[in-house]
Amino acid sequence: MNELIIPYLLTVVFVSFVINLVIALYGIFARPTLVKKIIALTIFSDSLNSLAIFVGYRVVSGRVPAPPVVVNYTSPQGPAQLAKVAVDPLPQALVLTAIVIGLAVTLFMVKVTMQVHRVYGTTSVRKLERIEYVNKEEKSEGVVE
Amino acid sequence: MIDLIAALLMAVAAVTSIVFTYLAVVEKNLVQAVVFSAVQSTMYALIYFLLMAPDIVLVYLPVGVGIYPAIVLLLIKKTDKVDE
Repeated sequence: MNELIIPYLLTVVFVSFVINLVIALYGIFARPTLVKKIIALTIFSDSLNSLAIFVGYRVVSGRVPAPPVVVNYTSPQGPAQLAKVAVDPLPQALVLTAIVIGLAVTLFMVKVTMQVHRVYGTTSVRKLERIEYVNKEEKSEGVVE
Repeated sequence: MIDLIAALLMAVAAVTSIVFTYLAVVEKNLVQAVVFSAVQSTMYALIYFLLMAPDIVLVYLPVGVGIYPAIVLLLIKKTDKVDE
């Protein structure tokens, strides 16, 4: 019976990640505030990372798969025994890097949003597109004349 | 039996994360939206643990629940509080 239920539950997990991707894309494109766009973008990147880890998962019958950590490294059969029961370590190594890079990109976007609010007084893109650009030099020349 | 329980917990955490993602996207109050996003990150950390990625959990839990909400709350404090 487990052979039928476990793939069904894993399919539920996969579909949940895809639904999260769609909701986060809606948040990025349809919500006006830049802060809400940043929150949705972090959810989007986390969902993509989750999909990458999910690709490396495998089902071992009768037990949970082992994490990809070589414990019995003194014996030559140790890595071979681990490879029969462990999940794929490559997506995990890639995602570890992607999380740290995503943190740096988010910090940059936060700084840019702060600067936008400092210059224009709003973070809503619907208000930002109505603001007319005023060149400071032309304005000061007008005052001199 | 243990693999069935792990898959069941994974599915429950994944469906819960959908609810909190939806709440985080549609919520007008940005502070509450950040809190919903942090809860969704906790669900993802549980899924990573059940997907046998303990090293990802050790990195993602401080980043997703600690640093992301902290810097976004700092941003909200300096800018608008409410989504238009």
